[in-house]
Amino acid sequence: MSELVRSYLTVAIFAAAAVGLVGLLLGISRILRPQRPSVSKQMAYESGVDPEGGDWAQSQIRYYVFAVLFVIFDVEAVFIFPWAVRLEVYGLFGLIEMFIFIAILALGLGYAWRKGVLRWV
Amino acid sequence: MELAMLAFERPAIDWHAFAPELVLLAVGSILTLIDIVYNERARRVMPALAAVGLLATLVPVLTLAVDGADRSMFDGAFVVDDMALTLKALFLISGFVVVLLSVDYIRDGDYHENEYYSLLLASLLGMVLIASSRDLITMFIALELLSIPAYMLAAWRKGGATSNEAGLKYYLMGVFASAIMLYGMSLIFGVSGSTQFDAIRVALDTGGDSAPMVTLGILFVLVGFGFKVSAVPFHTWAPDVYEGSPTPITAFLAVAAKAAGFVALLQLVFVAFSGRYDVVEPFFWIMAALTMTVGNLMALRQTNIVRMLAYSGVAQGGFMLAPFAVAGQATDSAIQAIVTYLIIYAFMNLGAFAVVLAVAKKTRSGEISSYAGLFSYAPGLAVAMTVFMAALAGIPPAGGWVAKLLVWRALLDASSVQGTVLAVVVAFNAVLAFSYYAKVLREMWMSDAPDGDTSPVSVSGTLTLALGLTVLATLAFGVFPQLAARFGDFSASFAL
Amino acid sequence: MQATGFDAWAVSLVVFLPLLGALVMLAVPSKEEETHKLIALVSSLGALAAGIYILVQFDYDNTSELQFLVDKSWIDVINSRFIVGVDGLSLPMLILSLVVVPLCIVYSWQHIPEPGNPKAFLMLILVLATGMNGTFVSHDLILFFVFFEIVLLPMYFMIGVWGGPERKYASLKFFLFTLFGSALMILSFLALFFVAEDPSGTALNTFDMRALSQWAGAGLSLTTAVVIFGGMFMGFGIKVPMFPFHTWLPDAHTQAPTVGSVILAAVLLKLGTYGFIRIALPILPRAAEQWAPWIGLLAVIGIIYGALGCLAQTDMKRLIAFSSVAHMGYVMLGISTLTTLGINAAVFGMVAHGLITGILFFVAGSVKERYHTLEIARLGGLLKAAPRMGWILGFATMASLGLPGLAGFWGEFPAILAAYQPAPALSEELFRVYMVIAALGTVLAAGYLLWLYQRTAFGEPTEEFADLEIADVNQYEWLAWTPFLLAILAFGVYPNLIFSLTDDTVGNIVSAFGG
Repeated sequence: MSELVRSYLTVAIFAAAAVGLVGLLLGISRILRPQRPSVSKQMAYESGVDPEGGDWAQSQIRYYVFAVLFVIFDVEAVFIFPWAVRLEVYGLFGLIEMFIFIAILALGLGYAWRKGVLRWV
Repeated sequence: MELAMLAFERPAIDWHAFAPELVLLAVGSILTLIDIVYNERARRVMPALAAVGLLATLVPVLTLAVDGADRSMFDGAFVVDDMALTLKALFLISGFVVVLLSVDYIRDGDYHENEYYSLLLASLLGMVLIASSRDLITMFIALELLSIPAYMLAAWRKGGATSNEAGLKYYLMGVFASAIMLYGMSLIFGVSGSTQFDAIRVALDTGGDSAPMVTLGILFVLVGFGFKVSAVPFHTWAPDVYEGSPTPITAFLAVAAKAAGFVALLQLVFVAFSGRYDVVEPFFWIMAALTMTVGNLMALRQTNIVRMLAYSGVAQGGFMLAPFAVAGQATDSAIQAIVTYLIIYAFMNLGAFAVVLAVAKKTRSGEISSYAGLFSYAPGLAVAMTVFMAALAGIPPAGGWVAKLLVWRALLDASSVQGTVLAVVVAFNAVLAFSYYAKVLREMWMSDAPDGDTSPVSVSGTLTLALGLTVLATLAFGVFPQLAARFGDFSASFAL
Repeated sequence: MQATGFDAWAVSLVVFLPLLGALVMLAVPSKEEETHKLIALVSSLGALAAGIYILVQFDYDNTSELQFLVDKSWIDVINSRFIVGVDGLSLPMLILSLVVVPLCIVYSWQHIPEPGNPKAFLMLILVLATGMNGTFVSHDLILFFVFFEIVLLPMYFMIGVWGGPERKYASLKFFLFTLFGSALMILSFLALFFVAEDPSGTALNTFDMRALSQWAGAGLSLTTAVVIFGGMFMGFGIKVPMFPFHTWLPDAHTQAPTVGSVILAAVLLKLGTYGFIRIALPILPRAAEQWAPWIGLLAVIGIIYGALGCLAQTDMKRLIAFSSVAHMGYVMLGISTLTTLGINAAVFGMVAHGLITGILFFVAGSVKERYHTLEIARLGGLLKAAPRMGWILGFATMASLGLPGLAGFWGEFPAILAAYQPAPALSEELFRVYMVIAALGTVLAAGYLLWLYQRTAFGEPTEEFADLEIADVNQYEWLAWTPFLLAILAFGVYPNLIFSLTDDTVGNIVSAFGG
């Protein structure tokens, strides 16, 4: 039983440390910081310009789709660079592997194209 | 300098062992390709293609099973043995039934149809892969592969706010769980120096000085999976997600996705962490007792059938977690109980959702009260639902009793106080559970149809097929328990 | 020794023919009501025919030996086998169940209760029959459990769909009570699987009742045995039902349709007492000795409580239900003495109570159908209005109060007598107190039954029904009731019909108690 308690004690200590750390940091800043609230300080920060309109703004979904497509190809590049450096060692096997990888990604690009994601209107 | 010395050795690939994954991947890609070429014109053939693809994937699974040899690849990260094959088959058959359930629902609801099926196949690919993974990284990748399409599918009813909520909630909880799990995995890796389960087992057995880290790592991984299998107290997402998702996807999440979580837990607990049952057992004891009790108590209060099934699913998960609490004391019977429970649970729960789908088509409602008088105008559906409810409650001759029996057997096999107490807790919960399953039975059989509307329910061909399959399987498992139980007998797969 | 040829199939036929009938009915459209009735009757008569074959072929010189034995593999992974057979203990119960079911179907010919649908109603009866017959013949604990549970759902629906105004509550109560008991019972069965070991110390790991009875708890610590017995006590005791778990019974009986009440009283309650004699006593005799005084106490409380309950009832069916609690108390008292006489009396009491309460519920059902009420205060003059029915009711109440010469007497009197001299391990004084209380119970029983009869049958019909034309017993009722009446008389006059069957088997069981 004591073995069990000891091994779970770690968990308790860990949890206490996590809560303690958060509490400590928030507490210190609360103690140290000066507190002089004013209207302009309570306003949302918009690059020094006075905020206008509501705080619920919508952004174009297209940006999001493009961002996703970008991430996909970014990751592809991350894979391809090291592969290219060592291509002579991997040989034909490596070449085919990478073509399969690219083909699957191309499938995704083709899908996006076909569904009109790439058109900006 | 260093690099040049690292000679690359081409990994030996056993194509036969890999065939199920490859076939499934190919079918998924073909579906996307067809979508690219024919676009909306391909809508009508998509479900048929997906179904055929799943059956085609079963072929290599069967040939591998006939062959019978255990295969291992990538330094033991990918293993094909009897247990992996059984679970793959379970996932594929569940997927097949889900496709059957989806056909009408997705077509009539004006959803994106082509993507639906390719995403479903992608998620299934992850499940098929997780059954074979014996390595932290492989397992994690498989888990993400099955989860990410599921997040999207949960939000598939784009117009409905609840479905969007379901998707978002599922996604946030999912990534949260993944993060916790990854943290745990990194701790385990730090201690053991390996991601491979067998190596982890050896390392944890001997790594006495780093015990605190090990405990933390194990617990974080298990908590992560606790989210995936919706164990209390990590279950809060389940009812909202189940209610909001399209019903076929709810069935998919409640059965296949949950099973995938359990499959991963099986490998982790009985292989990777098998040296540390002292940590694992109390954790699961508490989780199992909480999960079944809270799940049942919450289910009692539900008036919506899908929410009730969601909480009942949580409670059933508790029954499945219970054998883990005696993982070290009765290893063989615990494994057998869990796997058998998974198999039987899949069929009875899918069947219940099939009835829900069929009835909702007429009543357009998910309220339990809308089942009133079902027996008077759709006796077939009422009888089928009775079979599933009886199975879930564990009343012979419907299948569920075997599952519960094996759980009790495992718990008593441990011949320890904890095991016996948990067995009694299970017994109390089994009785408790019946009172809400009886609510459905009571409405169906003993109440009058609302507004005297007794026009018959039209059940489509695919739905009939799904119902037939699940009823037959549920009854067969109940009358010839050997059918299911022999698939759960995997002591050999875990011979350490 | 395993049976061969047709003998090997006889027991399975008895069990599964009704189920087969139900499956055939599933394929017939529900409009063809006559066909359904015919299929139900034929399949239940088929089972009865197989039962009569067993009755004829039964070796009466070896009643304690398991005959028509079939032992086939079933669930290998937990070493549970399909073991069915018949011995002197199960035979009377099996025949009782086999006879009651076709008679109930005959009675239902004209009496399908609201809301109709004979197809579903008869199918449920057939499924019930399979469960009941199966329980009485199975000799493997898991198989026993499955059959024991199979009866739950059909009875739940029978009460819940075709029952009275409070049917939903009554059916759920019935179900949850029994399910709770059986959940603990199966835990005990599994525990037996793990704790039983042969003399050399290797685990038996079996559910075979024969092997477990042979083991009889040897080498098991008394505490463990008492706990395991406790689980079985809950399972069987709730089914019996014993005080204080009896509260589901009056509700279930009052709300159930006539046929449901008959089957419930005649056969279902016996599953519990049968389980005590067949499983709990022989497998854990030492624990039984510890439990017996408590069982006896609950039994006599049940006797008195049931009788007092009867006196307080205004509803005829509810009164009969409470009398069941009292009568099952005698059965349990007989069992708790752990003597040959007591357990023989218990088995006899089970059969007798099945027949007598069965006919009482039949008559109550027919009265209800004619008067549309069972309120005792509103009834009266049954002998004037429908003399034959009145006489049958009189006959049944006389049998129920234990008039010598009728079956009821042989269930109660020896049970009380047995309490005078219980098994050596038990306290004589205590059981003599029980004996006195139980004897007092018979006086009360005479009181409430005669009171019931006097108020319903004697005198003039009440004003309310004075002008009502009450039909007397019709042909279907005659057909269904005559066998009951004959059997009550036959067993009353010649009780050895049953005692000679059960004596050897009971003797084997009791030998463990040195009695």
